[in-house]
Amino acid sequence: MTGFRTRWFSRVGRGDGAVGGFLAHRAGVAGAVVLAVAALVAVIAPLFIPADALDVTRVSDAPWQAPGLGHWLGTDHAGRSVALLVVQGAGTSLFVGLTAAVLSVGIGTLVGIVSGHFGGLAAGVLLRVTDFFLVLPALVLAIALSTVLPRGLGTIVLAIGLTSWPSTARMVRAQTLTIEARPFVERARALGGGHGHVIGRHVLPSVLPLVLVNATLAVASAIVAESTLAFLGLGDPTRISWGAMVHQAQLHGAVPQRAWWYLLPPGLAIVVVVLAFTLVGRALEAVVTPKR
Amino acid sequence: MRLAGRLGGAAVSLLMVAVLGFFLFRVVPGDPVVSMTRGRPTTAAMQAELRTQFGLDRPLVEQFWHYFTGLLRGDMGTSFTFRRPVADVILERLGPTLLLVGTSTLIAVVLGLWLGVRAAWRRDSGFDRATTGVSLTLWAVPTFWLGMLLMMATGDLFPSRGMRDTDTAPDFVSQALDVGHHLVLPSLTLVAVVCAEYVLVMRSSLLEEMHAPYLTTARAKGLRDDLVRRRHAVPNAVLPAITLVFLRFGLVVAGAITTETVFSWPGLGLLFYDALTGPDYFLLQGLLVVTAGAVVVMNLLADVLHGVLDPRVKVV
Amino acid sequence: MRVKSSALLAIATTLGVSAAPATAQEQAPTPVILKVAITQQIDSMNPFLAVFQSSTEIGRLMYDYLTAYAADDQRVTEGLANRWEPSADKLTWTFTVPEGKKWSDGQPITAQDVAFTYNLMLTDEVARTANGSFVTNFASVAATDDKTVVVKTKAPQVTMLALDIPIVPKHVWEKVTSVKDYTNEQMPVVGSGPFVLTEHVAGQFIKLKANKNYWRGAAKYDELHFVYFQNSDAAVQALAKGEVDLVNRMAPAQYESLEGKAGVTRNKAQGRRFTELLINPGAQTRTGEPIGDGNPALKDVRVRRAIAQAIDLDALVSRVNLGYAEKGAGLVPPVFDKWHWQPGTSEQREFDPAAANAALDAAGFPRRPDGTRFGLRLIGRAGRAYDEQASEYLKRSMSEIGIPLDVRLVTDNQLNEVTTAATYDLAFSGWATNVDPDFILSLHTCAQRPGADGKGGTTDAYFCDETYDKLYAQQLSEFDEGKRVEIVKQMQARFYDQVPAVVLAYENALEAYRSDHFARFTTQPAEGGVIMAQNGMWGYYGAEPAGRAAQSSGSRWPGLVLGGVVIAGLVVVSVLYARRRNATAGERE
Repeated sequence: MTGFRTRWFSRVGRGDGAVGGFLAHRAGVAGAVVLAVAALVAVIAPLFIPADALDVTRVSDAPWQAPGLGHWLGTDHAGRSVALLVVQGAGTSLFVGLTAAVLSVGIGTLVGIVSGHFGGLAAGVLLRVTDFFLVLPALVLAIALSTVLPRGLGTIVLAIGLTSWPSTARMVRAQTLTIEARPFVERARALGGGHGHVIGRHVLPSVLPLVLVNATLAVASAIVAESTLAFLGLGDPTRISWGAMVHQAQLHGAVPQRAWWYLLPPGLAIVVVVLAFTLVGRALEAVVTPKR
Repeated sequence: MRLAGRLGGAAVSLLMVAVLGFFLFRVVPGDPVVSMTRGRPTTAAMQAELRTQFGLDRPLVEQFWHYFTGLLRGDMGTSFTFRRPVADVILERLGPTLLLVGTSTLIAVVLGLWLGVRAAWRRDSGFDRATTGVSLTLWAVPTFWLGMLLMMATGDLFPSRGMRDTDTAPDFVSQALDVGHHLVLPSLTLVAVVCAEYVLVMRSSLLEEMHAPYLTTARAKGLRDDLVRRRHAVPNAVLPAITLVFLRFGLVVAGAITTETVFSWPGLGLLFYDALTGPDYFLLQGLLVVTAGAVVVMNLLADVLHGVLDPRVKVV
Repeated sequence: MRVKSSALLAIATTLGVSAAPATAQEQAPTPVILKVAITQQIDSMNPFLAVFQSSTEIGRLMYDYLTAYAADDQRVTEGLANRWEPSADKLTWTFTVPEGKKWSDGQPITAQDVAFTYNLMLTDEVARTANGSFVTNFASVAATDDKTVVVKTKAPQVTMLALDIPIVPKHVWEKVTSVKDYTNEQMPVVGSGPFVLTEHVAGQFIKLKANKNYWRGAAKYDELHFVYFQNSDAAVQALAKGEVDLVNRMAPAQYESLEGKAGVTRNKAQGRRFTELLINPGAQTRTGEPIGDGNPALKDVRVRRAIAQAIDLDALVSRVNLGYAEKGAGLVPPVFDKWHWQPGTSEQREFDPAAANAALDAAGFPRRPDGTRFGLRLIGRAGRAYDEQASEYLKRSMSEIGIPLDVRLVTDNQLNEVTTAATYDLAFSGWATNVDPDFILSLHTCAQRPGADGKGGTTDAYFCDETYDKLYAQQLSEFDEGKRVEIVKQMQARFYDQVPAVVLAYENALEAYRSDHFARFTTQPAEGGVIMAQNGMWGYYGAEPAGRAAQSSGSRWPGLVLGGVVIAGLVVVSVLYARRRNATAGERE
């Protein structure tokens, strides 16, 4: 739960009336704008940050400065600007969130379609495995994985991706089964359409919108998950991410020093971006799910 | 029939957890004995003796057999860190976690369901928008960060760690008050995040229910709106939410890791975190089996409960 | 109001389980309690099994050793024994345990207890788990009468007055059938130290009471509590709030955050620890087989020296340790000033990247077209602030001499694995040293390397040097302390010259205490010494309460009330809700 929030929103958007739908759209647009800005910052800003500004060996400013004219978000324990750190951290957090979500949704879609389409023993086993992973406390497993594997971004992505795919698989499988029961799929099959044809032409197109919604929401939970792992000291220590900043803040005693300017910004950044992804996901869902 | 299938599935899951628990943590390179004795005068013979005591000198297959047969008897091995049976250590920490998670869940359920119902009923009102907005935001908040913020913001009002002070008077009331005092911040942290989810689920579930034809009928019969809500819509809509509560309770136990870490709350989550640094194989295995077991059992319960509460679903 | 009290009652019932162990005691005058924060777990209260540093420290409070280290200058002084005499051939040691010392249950402490303890360790290998290294050279131990213990050793042993073995009461332990399964938590635990263990809740706290029978006299306060914290950040906060009285192992920033805090006094002490950077010197097993995959370039001592020369130790101390450390040199930290070694001006390697570059060129590792010579891996511990920061500095220093670093921060356990298997080029390490330098020196002898199967090694840096080994054997049987000191210094000089590791810094031990509760603590040594993690129990034993200081618990009430109100508010809301529901239900009829 903490850090690993299942995507119950597949339920949340449904049932909203026309007005609700409109509101969801508006919020979704707002979310999309926020995301666009965040992505832009993540990509462009590092180009403008002088290399020396974030190198602990080169900064010369006093540590623990409260926000002021020089550094409008203050400085951290090493004298680096918190504002620059947050900007720099955006890249890592977004990268991990996106790749982990793609990995998770990718595995989920694959497993879901295969187990839904083929049936038989293989599907039974896949279903069993899915249920097994659904049962495992994802955070516990992800922590265990990141302890076992060497430190690095890849490990984090793997740990999150490998532990969060089952809900997607479940959903995709259900959708696959629904589609395959439709008359036009049966017709295609009768006309000699092979597995590839049925999956490629019929199942995949009808599953994709749902997958897209799922992926958007998966990014949100992956970002929270990354920050949790980083906070527990399991992140890539050579990179700045928002979770890692909170970890550093705790490691160096931000709370007893009441250094709110060090603790507040990275957390707020997480909240804003995760919220934006959620809003976009809900809006997409409202579009994708046909109204009753 | 279905119940039997469910039970079988749960059993298979538990079996897989047991196997995974053993091998996952053995993949970790490193010798726990070296970690344990780091920094004190140790001879190679002493290290070998420690390995023998914990059975680490045996072949992996033998270790696994020992572990597995032990598990069936309820023996989860001996913790390196505490030098006591893992089962005892876990049992000891279960209480604090249940207290924290139980209190938080209780508050979150009451508050979350109530807010969710009101929000859904007054859909698109200011109240609804505010509730939904706040819930969505809280859902996005990292738990550990919220905990640290609360700690910083409340200053000296609440204790910064643990469950009890050591110098509290031994009588029951003082002890209870002391624990309650320590409980405020961690449970507040958990409530904030858990509650958000209940609000959203309750709201959407009720909205869905409100489109059901029988409600229109009920309204057409001239029943008061309030009454329709209470007697028909809410009881039906509450089902998925209750199911969720059960599903989540198992996960919340595992998920209290960050909260317990931030507040040094002596529960299972903190134990898990501490066990990782050893690494304390037997303790980690035991914790994985117990937490995953909790989720399996809660899933089963949720299923059964769903069947009992909802006449439309047949479980047995 | 009724709702509130019933809510509190409800909480109280929920808490029943956890509060149950509390026993009813009459309200005597409030005892004076010293509350200490610890961040490390306690593995066992059984002194034969406990290997964690924190457990050892609490063990010192419960049990005295045969000898002790004085608080002011760490010289060997009276423990349970007050006199000792080696034979002419240095193989037989006679210790005298004087009459009049008592166990906490009133039984006399005799030579029989000492002999029992040592013999238990000689006969039962489980009893050697924690402190076996001290008795490996023992041939026999016997109590000739209640006052005299005779220890015979196989070879002359210079560390006979540094036997850090807790002596246990024979009348309790002779009934123990299996040392392995004995938790030693039969409260109160009979001991000889200044405090008696009375309660232990794993992962939460440990309570000890002053031992009224302690032979040096009872401590000046009533109870000593150790409270477990998950991290030092929480511990520092608790100190600032007055929830605990004593905290150590603070990070520099945490230490500085307490500056000027009312009621808090800080203690910056010389620590027993040093941090080092291992340089894989071409690791080999005891049998001379190569092991691991260290970069072969590092086998060349000129390369290792060049690397050491390119590290700006002063910058590390001032920027990473924030000045709370001393620049590294020999293996023994300056707190043991008798044994500590500093390089003379001719031996000293000054920080000089240009000279290092020239040395590397001369050693046959010219820069390639891209400006690099060869790459190295640097392994450190993730989550350790020092490693995380220092690796950045090293990365920069090394790039200036054409050596790009690949920094990998791993878990504690993985770090141990990497250093044991010698699969590192550079790695962070560190040790806490004891009063007698024997152990830290022994880590670098050839015999400490692992056997042919790669197991059983306790070497620190895979150092193996004939000159060093010869000196090690010499000092071990040199009973003239002045001469031994000389040899020990020569060993450190040799180590410094051969650089299998660079001692980076001797970290200060940063401690702080509530001076409004406790006016004074005994430090060891007297000048610039530590309160916690001593080679002794003086810090806790010598603590003096600050007069009739109000150990007020009043500050907790606002929080309690607020918490109560929040919960009560929730209860009221739900009650109101239920009532309204009932009201409409009535209306319905």
